[in-house]
Amino acid sequence: MHDIIRQLDDKRSAARLGGGEKRIAAQHAKGKLTARERIELFLDPGSFEEWDMFKEHRCTDFGMEKQSLPGDGVVTGYGTVNGRLIFVFSQDFTVLGGSLSETHAEKICKVMDHAMKVGAPVIGLNDSGGARIQEGVASLGGYADVFQRNVMASGVVPQISMIMGPCAGGAVYSPAMTDFIFMVKDSSYMFVTGPEVVKTVTHEEVTAEELGGAVTHTSKSGVADLAFENDVEALTMLRRFINFLPSNNREKPPVQPTNDPAERLDFSLDTLVPDNANKPYDMKELIIKMVDDCDFFEIQPDYAKNIITGFARMDGHTIGIVANQPLVLAGCLDIKSSIKAARFVRFCDAFNIPVVTLVDVPGFMPGTTQEYGGIIKHGAKLLYAYAECTVPKVTLITRKAYGGAYDVMSSKHLRGDVNMAWPSAEIAVMGPKGAVEIIFREEKGDPEKLAQREAEYKAKFANPFVAGARGFIDDVIMPNETRKRVCRSLAMLRDKKLENPWRKHGNIPL
Amino acid sequence: MFKKILIANRGEIACRVIQTARKMGILTVAVYSEADCDSLHVELADEGVCIGPAASKESYLVIDKIIAACKQTGAEAVHPGYGFLSENQEFSRRLEEEGIIFIGPKHYSVGQMGDKIASKKLANEAKVNTIPGYADAIDTAEQAVEIAKGIGYPVMIKASAGGGGKGLRVAFDDKECFEGFTSCRNEAKTAFGDDRILIEKYVLEPRHIEIQVLGDAHGNTVYLHERECSIQRRHQKVIEEAPSPFLDPATRKAMGEQAVALAKAVNYQSAGTVEFVVGADKSFYFLEMNTRLQVEHPVTEMITGLDLVEQMIRVAAGEKLAFKQEDLKINGWAMECRINAEDPFRGFLPSTGRLVKFQPPVAVEGQVRVDTGVYDGGEISMYYDSMIAKLIVHGATREQAISRMRGALNAFVIRGISSNIPFQSALMQHPRFHSGNFNTGFIAEEYPKGFDASMVPHDDPALLISVAAFVHRRYIDRAAKVSGQLAGHERKVGDDWVVLRDGEQHLVNATPVTGGYLIAYKGEKYEIVSNWRLGQPIMHGTCNGEEFTLQLERRGIRYRLFHWGAQVDLTVLTAHAAALLALMPEKAPPDLSKFLLSPMPGLLREVSVKEGQEVKAGEKLAVIEAMKMENILKADQDCKVRKLVAKSGESLSVDQVIIEFE
Repeated sequence: MHDIIRQLDDKRSAARLGGGEKRIAAQHAKGKLTARERIELFLDPGSFEEWDMFKEHRCTDFGMEKQSLPGDGVVTGYGTVNGRLIFVFSQDFTVLGGSLSETHAEKICKVMDHAMKVGAPVIGLNDSGGARIQEGVASLGGYADVFQRNVMASGVVPQISMIMGPCAGGAVYSPAMTDFIFMVKDSSYMFVTGPEVVKTVTHEEVTAEELGGAVTHTSKSGVADLAFENDVEALTMLRRFINFLPSNNREKPPVQPTNDPAERLDFSLDTLVPDNANKPYDMKELIIKMVDDCDFFEIQPDYAKNIITGFARMDGHTIGIVANQPLVLAGCLDIKSSIKAARFVRFCDAFNIPVVTLVDVPGFMPGTTQEYGGIIKHGAKLLYAYAECTVPKVTLITRKAYGGAYDVMSSKHLRGDVNMAWPSAEIAVMGPKGAVEIIFREEKGDPEKLAQREAEYKAKFANPFVAGARGFIDDVIMPNETRKRVCRSLAMLRDKKLENPWRKHGNIPL
Repeated sequence: MFKKILIANRGEIACRVIQTARKMGILTVAVYSEADCDSLHVELADEGVCIGPAASKESYLVIDKIIAACKQTGAEAVHPGYGFLSENQEFSRRLEEEGIIFIGPKHYSVGQMGDKIASKKLANEAKVNTIPGYADAIDTAEQAVEIAKGIGYPVMIKASAGGGGKGLRVAFDDKECFEGFTSCRNEAKTAFGDDRILIEKYVLEPRHIEIQVLGDAHGNTVYLHERECSIQRRHQKVIEEAPSPFLDPATRKAMGEQAVALAKAVNYQSAGTVEFVVGADKSFYFLEMNTRLQVEHPVTEMITGLDLVEQMIRVAAGEKLAFKQEDLKINGWAMECRINAEDPFRGFLPSTGRLVKFQPPVAVEGQVRVDTGVYDGGEISMYYDSMIAKLIVHGATREQAISRMRGALNAFVIRGISSNIPFQSALMQHPRFHSGNFNTGFIAEEYPKGFDASMVPHDDPALLISVAAFVHRRYIDRAAKVSGQLAGHERKVGDDWVVLRDGEQHLVNATPVTGGYLIAYKGEKYEIVSNWRLGQPIMHGTCNGEEFTLQLERRGIRYRLFHWGAQVDLTVLTAHAAALLALMPEKAPPDLSKFLLSPMPGLLREVSVKEGQEVKAGEKLAVIEAMKMENILKADQDCKVRKLVAKSGESLSVDQVIIEFE
């Protein structure tokens, strides 16, 4: 018995050392923490329950039988973040480069299966050189097993990938199917084919960082949602992020108490929208002044900046915010912003998070780039997402809501629950100038008359009352009372029940 | 008394006049330009009249429009504030013709004091000290030496045609005077084609001290003591105080009496200011008289208890002064900081835009006063003066006034635009300012290369560390209250933390106490109590019972604290996390010398160079239009353009890269 206990101790110490002190030092030298250090930082102190510490690979080819290390390059288990259950796997780059073997994949699958059973999020801390080539197809099979589980878990429990090292080739498709991808600057990269292959095939010279670094994916490709400076910042912020999310699709999002009064008025908002309809303003100011404790956790802040997405709380309850940003491209909808917002709305809908939509949209972006790029199909994604969405939907039009974009942005017609408008709202098919030029086409040669027509049109449609008269707007509210009115609307909607008809799944325009 | 008056001004002074009028039961009319239609003074006044486009010369400076507004509203009198038409003789004369009373001096007084040469002559006649000098042309260096001897050294030798400090020389003895005159004349000849040279007394370590006077229509004139205005930046007053830390009662009396004599000489009937330059030897000389209400009048009000605007209105209405010179005592110490919309860390460039947050310190009767014309959510336009508020404090002593000012500056929240508050805070703790030993050269001498964050050292690091620990625990404790925790396995927040500042680790222990946390740091205990709410930019609290106010922002995992002008970034982590963070390599900040960054938000009007072009230092690189002002960006050093990153016509944010160099 004593012998077994001594063996256990020895095995544990061996496993804890991963790939050994030398490799740990090398990992640190690259500015990266080890798999275990990351888990310790991420979870509540002392809460980690590790599984499969003694698991070893079964490969006997290419000398692998001599290189067996306990844990097989991934640390898995569960623990808590602020007392809430979280499943986690953390790839260990010090053990065979964190390469994915059949057994490595089995460990990941085990935590995913458990997470599904008990309804808790799965967090993957990715740091892997790729497939365990020595294992061949066994390794590929391992990837596919993980992929399948990613898909099965999608919309059931939140899945978040934190890319903290290399993630290349087929390996990228597991994070790609999770709900959010976060990356660490300068030490992580994701690509399907690396710079060497790129060079031989397309003769492009590009660094790994430029091809698939954190900045690339959070600003150019939109593959990743957030980029952090280093491991410590990344994991600290990940803890903060998790506090917004429910553990699964059967429960409501968590409540974090606040002493920010729901009735708080902010008179500075009364002057947020400039008198000149062509002058931009920062929609984020409204968001920050509206939500609890000025705490807004933005998702994809550097990608498709003409739309803002992110999480916040009102009355302590998590909400998702989608807002047009007049500061960038006048807040119009284009391919990138439609996809960004559509995916966000669908996440909120899957996890019972009410969506608050702030609208100032002049329409869809015109042009060949957009049309050739398929704005019809991509714009439809956002329309589809909002129309399909059954969680509480509160919409506030701050200024422009023109044309089809008005319909798309969580309008009453798409089952918006509470649709409000500021007095500065203009809900119309298009701006007064464009409208007049079409309606009074024959008066084109007479600028004076046209100006008069424009004034008439403006007086008639450049206000929230036309939509109000039809009930498309439930109420016109003063900007200063926005927080109060949105808080109340959300409170009223807290027990909303709405179900879509049964079907295998809808056919979102992909 | 008047029933209705019109205020021919805008901003804080218009608001301030309206407040006094209201107190006196007088109705008020505001005039405003199109850019000012949402301004505070319009909101405060009983009536408002729009007088034209944003540009002052098409609105606030148009006499006819002001008169028309008076007639339209039936205003019986006009208060001009300062600036604009306040010292315009034509304006007060026209008002007189129209039977509207000008709340200010008579037009002839304005006229007599408006001309520099005439006013100096008048001052001489009224036996007011003027700077000794020789105004006629001087022919030879020998003659110059004789004149200098007569005036008394040191003397200033300058070209008659030269402006500013060009060709100016200071001579301390005969030899220097001889040489100085010769070279100055040669220079003047080549530079201006005019070799006439002036010599006058050079005032060493000059201070700008002015006397507030007040006269009525019944021949009574008093002085309301002095204001010290020597803290100036590029001839713009920054801090004013009353009394002056430099004057003794005898000098004060002498200056006051001369000021009154001058006012009487022009039959001055209102509030006015006589400016003096005062030398290190307490010699004082008349500079000019400002025939209007001064920006800095509140410091005089604070020490005399008088409302100068009320006095001006009463005098204009024909009332007699209700007090005599001997009734006017100096009560305590008052100080004023001008709060300007400018960025002290970027060469004091004006800052315009939306006031995302404007929350001045709470006014306390007799202690803290805020005069402002802007409001939370308002807009700072480029059309007018950058001064958006005046912060005035009063204390029993100068030390107390300074301490109140420091506290009030801490509590002044301005977001959306930059302000000079950090600079004011730095001045307020400058030892030389504290000593009172300064002159008009103070800012130029102490900040010769401008101002940066390193010039405001914070002398109480333990407070910042304790507050950071407090704030972090508030956030962490709140997060730990989230619902849905595993029963029996709830989050327990530890008490030991590490506060990181500039890579240095400070170990603290933070335990909850009623209303706050007890922070143990370096063997000392700091009990921080505050009702600060998460996310608020300002925090009032006590540290071991002593009050403090500071501002903070949460930026990712960092907290940025603003206190006493200092900006300090702090990160609070568990000891374990701090140890792991120490393993992370320090990322070198990007080498910004390789880039031309936009110093302000604006429109990129023009990129003046091409890719691959060699550029010499001082050459024009780009033009940015910010709020209709063109700003030319020049090369700091010789360089070669690698890449044009921003395109002309693009709108830029602060620090956006425009050009990359090799």
